[in-house]
Amino acid sequence: MEVYDRNNREGLKGWLNPGRYGWERVSYWLQRLTGVGLLVYFVGHVYETSSLTQGFDAWNAMLELTQTPLGHMILLLVIGMSTFHSANGIRLIFTHGGKGLGKPGRPDYPYDPVSLNYRQKSGIWVALILAAVAMLYGASVLFGGE
Amino acid sequence: MLRESQIMKIHYMTGIAALFVVAVHILMRLVMPFNLSLEFDNVILNYHNLPYAVLLESILVLIAIHGFNGLRVILLEMRQSRGWENFVTVVTIVAMMGVIAYGTRTIIVANGLSLG
Repeated sequence: MEVYDRNNREGLKGWLNPGRYGWERVSYWLQRLTGVGLLVYFVGHVYETSSLTQGFDAWNAMLELTQTPLGHMILLLVIGMSTFHSANGIRLIFTHGGKGLGKPGRPDYPYDPVSLNYRQKSGIWVALILAAVAMLYGASVLFGGE
Repeated sequence: MLRESQIMKIHYMTGIAALFVVAVHILMRLVMPFNLSLEFDNVILNYHNLPYAVLLESILVLIAIHGFNGLRVILLEMRQSRGWENFVTVVTIVAMMGVIAYGTRTIIVANGLSLG
């Protein structure tokens, strides 16, 4: 008989717990958090841009609301999130295609997962470093006084 | 009905395609000082440029598909049952279509606007 109810009993708590699986779990967690953050920004951006259709005054009123230090800080966060999400997403596409996972081997104590090798770990670090660099560049544009 | 593996291929393809079109969209904000690029006349001129308007529409569609499918995947990871899966799928598809329709309306109206 087919079982329809397969509830994940840990729910949100299980999803957010980065403790048990090391770096891969942190990457998993950040990929989803940045994804949700970017989706929220995307919907907000589509709404914000629609003020254009109400003319010059509505557009400028929206700019007064968003082109503030707080608005620029949010944009910086979006730049960091989008860079990490893109770089880590490309790593995940390769990983899901079986690239960079290493060869399967006999499980010997202390049972380090072969799949989480230096390529995967460095991929996560590269994504984090690229996000930091993009945020620094974004800060120079947004707060550079141009 | 699409298989989950086919949906994930669409997810990856829309993600990679979005990278390129969003890069062009950001570059358009950097070809002149950032504040100037956001002035009403400059933004309207962007929308009058047909290739750029098509690019904006493609960004809208690609990110809406990628984003709302990503949300669907996250929600399905948290809980699994036939009712929940159907509910999440319907809600994300409706939200995706709503955002695409609303954004498309902006692009079409702004394309026909005169300068301020």
